[in-house]
Amino acid sequence: MRIAGAVLLGLILLAACAAPWLAPNPPNRRFADLLSAPPTRIHVGDGSPAPHLHPLRIVSRLERRFDEDRATHVPLRWFSGVLVSADPDSGAPLLLLGSDAFGRDRFSRLLYGSRATLALAVLATLLATAVGALVGGVAGYAGGRLDTFLSRVSEFVVVLPAIYVALALRAVMPLVLPGSTIFVLLLTIFALLGWPMVARGVRAIVLVERDREYAMAARAAGASPTRLLTRHLLPAARGYLSTQASLLLPAFILAESTMSYVGLGFPDSTPTWGTMLQDASNVALLGDAPWALAPAAAIFMVVLGVNLLVQSTGHAPVQLER
Amino acid sequence: MTRLSPRFTGVLVTISVLAVIALVVRGCPSPDSAATTATAKPRRGGQLVASARGVPRTFNRLMAGDQPSDMFAMLTQGSLVRVNRSTFEVEPWLAEKWESSADGLTHTLHLRGGITWSDGTPFTSADVLFTLQAMYDPKVQSVVASSVMPGGKPIQATAPDAATVVLTYGQASGSGISLLDMFPILPKHKLEGAYKAGTFPQAWTTATAPSEIVGTGPFVLREFKPGERLVFDRNPTYWRTGVDGQKLPYLDRLVLQFIPEQNAELLALQAGTTDLTQSELRADDYVPVRRAEEEGKLKLIQGGVGPDADALWFCMNPEIKKGDRRQAFVQKREFRQALSHAVDREEFAQTVFLGEAVPVWGPITPGNKPWFSPNVPRYPHDVTRARELLKSIGLDDRNGNGVVETADGVEARFTVMTQRGNSSYERGIAVLREQAAKIGVAFDAAPLEYPTMIERLLACQYDAVYMRPYFSNLDPANNMDFWLSSGSTHFWNMSQKTPATEWETRIDTVMREQAATLDPERRRELFNDAQRILAENVPVLYFVAPRLYFAHSTRTMGVVPSVMRPPILWNADSLSVAGP
Amino acid sequence: MARFLIRRLAFALVLLLCTSSAALFLTRLAPGDVTSQLGPFVPRAEIEAARSRFGLDRNPVVQWGSWLSRAVRLDFGDSFLYNRPVGPLVVRAAGNTAVLAVSALIVSTFVGIGLGIFTGTHRTGWLSAFVRGMSVMCISVPPLLMSLMLVFIAARTRWLPTGGMLSAGTVDASWTTATVDVAWHLVLPTLALALPIAAAFERLQSQSMSEAVRQPFLLAAIARGVPRRELVWRHAWPVSIRPICGVYGLVIGSLLSGSFIVEFVTAWPGIGRLMYEALRARDIYLVSACAAAGAGFLAFGTLLGDLLLAVADPRVREEIEA
Repeated sequence: MRIAGAVLLGLILLAACAAPWLAPNPPNRRFADLLSAPPTRIHVGDGSPAPHLHPLRIVSRLERRFDEDRATHVPLRWFSGVLVSADPDSGAPLLLLGSDAFGRDRFSRLLYGSRATLALAVLATLLATAVGALVGGVAGYAGGRLDTFLSRVSEFVVVLPAIYVALALRAVMPLVLPGSTIFVLLLTIFALLGWPMVARGVRAIVLVERDREYAMAARAAGASPTRLLTRHLLPAARGYLSTQASLLLPAFILAESTMSYVGLGFPDSTPTWGTMLQDASNVALLGDAPWALAPAAAIFMVVLGVNLLVQSTGHAPVQLER
Repeated sequence: MTRLSPRFTGVLVTISVLAVIALVVRGCPSPDSAATTATAKPRRGGQLVASARGVPRTFNRLMAGDQPSDMFAMLTQGSLVRVNRSTFEVEPWLAEKWESSADGLTHTLHLRGGITWSDGTPFTSADVLFTLQAMYDPKVQSVVASSVMPGGKPIQATAPDAATVVLTYGQASGSGISLLDMFPILPKHKLEGAYKAGTFPQAWTTATAPSEIVGTGPFVLREFKPGERLVFDRNPTYWRTGVDGQKLPYLDRLVLQFIPEQNAELLALQAGTTDLTQSELRADDYVPVRRAEEEGKLKLIQGGVGPDADALWFCMNPEIKKGDRRQAFVQKREFRQALSHAVDREEFAQTVFLGEAVPVWGPITPGNKPWFSPNVPRYPHDVTRARELLKSIGLDDRNGNGVVETADGVEARFTVMTQRGNSSYERGIAVLREQAAKIGVAFDAAPLEYPTMIERLLACQYDAVYMRPYFSNLDPANNMDFWLSSGSTHFWNMSQKTPATEWETRIDTVMREQAATLDPERRRELFNDAQRILAENVPVLYFVAPRLYFAHSTRTMGVVPSVMRPPILWNADSLSVAGP
Repeated sequence: MARFLIRRLAFALVLLLCTSSAALFLTRLAPGDVTSQLGPFVPRAEIEAARSRFGLDRNPVVQWGSWLSRAVRLDFGDSFLYNRPVGPLVVRAAGNTAVLAVSALIVSTFVGIGLGIFTGTHRTGWLSAFVRGMSVMCISVPPLLMSLMLVFIAARTRWLPTGGMLSAGTVDASWTTATVDVAWHLVLPTLALALPIAAAFERLQSQSMSEAVRQPFLLAAIARGVPRRELVWRHAWPVSIRPICGVYGLVIGSLLSGSFIVEFVTAWPGIGRLMYEALRARDIYLVSACAAAGAGFLAFGTLLGDLLLAVADPRVREEIEA
């Protein structure tokens, strides 16, 4: 199952990197006559042997109803800059997941959005895990005053809602920030938000592990605290760390959209999965347009892949079940 | 073994369960609502539940002008006259009839007899005098006072007897008697003590016990749970009777639930938990509401074109923007006219409001029926003309990067603030960016949280802003702060000491005249003039005015929608519940 | 033990003070103030009058000083929005959230940990895979969407009220009817709040349990012939619960910031929603009081978590008693 997880993640990573080649349309291209359009149906036969599309005409904008213009055939193009597409200017763009309320291709935005979303979330998770493991390990090992101090610091970080900090930051920052600044800012904020959870769990584990026989033996053999920590104690928390990381990842993906609500988000031209999901908040329409949940499905795939990857292999030395 | 791996099976089962849930939710037939009987005579009794998103700031209307406080006052208090929110006519209310002098300075009002406060105390002219005294007292700092000062002076009031009030205006006012709709009459016997003690501003806060809140309105306050709900009971001493002769209000009880999230508010309406909402529907809400209407659960009604339009303007305060080199061309009207030409208002309406909006070129929309002028100069969608206009003031794309600039390289690139979280603003700014880009003007959108945006707005710390400004009153004489160059809501250049441009001087003159003119025809002429001057010089670009749609449950009867707020509860005393 | 508790109490007070002061400053620093709610279309004189009435034209440090001097006398200021002392408002809202938080905690603990033990000991089998799949789904859906979907299901099926704490018909109801009504209204927000947390617990417990099961001492117990039920509950579980106890406190504390979306969507009159609205309106005294309440929650939560950890592991107990 680990392989399944790795394969899944690998595919997603590949899609993210190859987005310019896989996405049929530019992510910010607005098709003014195709707002909230359903996914394009690909037809075969019916006059042309090659797969083709029919342009959609608006029947009612308010009711989001479209009709196919059966008379016109728009062929699919292969390998003309992108893997497969239909000419965006023909009035029949290839919308594999339909279009959003602005008329932009959801599928392309999903692909492009994976870059910013995943880059931020993965880096933030790694950072938070690393910092948390370090702090938790030190706190659990050292005990006493240092432990108390670090625990209280972690509590203080958790209790101060990120929204305050974000708003205050917004006040001092200029109005329009380049994407890279936002990226670094969000990365820092997320890492700062995420480490207490990691630290507390690691501390609980290390607290117990340090009094185990093997740890005592290592100490007796003259191992320095750092070596003890890194080579013996922290690896004991490896399982916890990986699981916690798999929980932080989706949390950060989703937190990005909350941050963007406060004004600390990526500029409009950068799609992200979290902000794409805001389109789905009119839940009454999800029955008609379930493809609006595509980013949630994408997040689910990523988290599933990570979970499959980090879970311990299915063979215990002794099976507990009959 | 041909068995599927357990993991795979698990994933399959998960997905199929989700699919089943989705199907159930999608196709679940909801129980039909009770068939509505078209009763000729409204039924007396029953309760309605309305949802609201905002909490009243205070129960003392003189101290706060926010919309929820205003609505509270409408439900529990009465004014001397009422401006009907649907027909815009002045109706006698606490004052039954009145005579005005020829010069419009003196108005003699005869109060309706037999009116008592909800605690039984008789309503007299002393209450009117007290209210005016408290309102204009500078120590009280009432927010209403400045809007009710014709000629800049408080209205003088005397009471020859308990049923007559003589009002003297400082200057003849075009709005005349309708000014008296802007404040409720408060009970002297309940508030005089606080006023004499100097604690009037702290009287009737939302922490006050409901029994203290006494009024002449259709309802009395029963309970207020902060953050949860407001409950109103029928006022048994309410003076009004309906057209069918029954005493109003028909309802026994009116409950106002606070639901802060807009999607949840709509879901509550669809579930039947609430009967009506205070906000208009968004364009995206049309499909689910229409479906609910077909199932017989809701009624969709059109209120008409809204009185407010989407607008974009640049801050043109010469002192604050002194170092900004772009002001050299921003302050030229050709620049703004070019932008107005560049915007395809039809496409704007189609994209942002799904077609449910009408193009406008000025702040007064067709929804403001008494004051709308169709002869305002229009800027048809014409990209070529727009480019010509830009060239005529020296803006051209010399370096081929798609953005026009002046001869010394100052680019026409602006950051446009807008309010975050509002889908129509986000769509609107996206459309504007595209269309401005076609003539070489670059907009960078900066969606901001509301208080952040307001602070920058007031301090002129912005390039441009896109939003829908609300006028609280349709009568232009009550919006002088917007039209006059010295006004504090003269958005693009607030509180000027002397008019910055000659056309602003002209508008000042015209508006002052129309506020002091009594003849309605002449007022309209003058105001049309002001609208024309504004549209010619385009300090603010107006795009479209959305059509307002509302929904209410099928059991709610007697709904008369209004384009003003509150759209349905302004007429709360005539609402009733359907049923056997 | 007593010294430990006293130290924690002292720290809790310090935390409360720091948090509310920080909140006060950060809210002052954020752009705009409570008069922004009046909108820009209100005469400047009114705005200035309101500002001076609320003391917003004073230096922030001076304002903090006067707030502090009143706070020690247990006067925490007045709310600008509601025009009444913040104390009763916050206490009432905190009580409502406590009810919600306790029920969500109970549900998520039992469901999450219970399911986690199940999936931790049954690595194969379709039921286990299904549970794990649902967990992953619950943590990858944004809380806003989750709450809205639950409200939507409630609205369509009419099995549950769509929000609020009381039905509109309970104005004159008796105490018992009102309690039943509140309980009925509690189901939806509890579910919305508990599901993601239960999923997180399940993931952590599952991983932790599957590790504990691999420990040599357990192998020894199996060899001794200890029955399976005893293996899981008396031997493996107490070991596996440690990292969860470590983060339990933080989970309790973060229930507060996590609750605001749920409270917002389901119109539950709790402190998360109160704080969010106070922040939006820049109602500084209310914000600082809410932040203090949040700090109180957290301090209590971490104390509880540490005590649980002590129960789970005698070695930690020793530390506390020292």
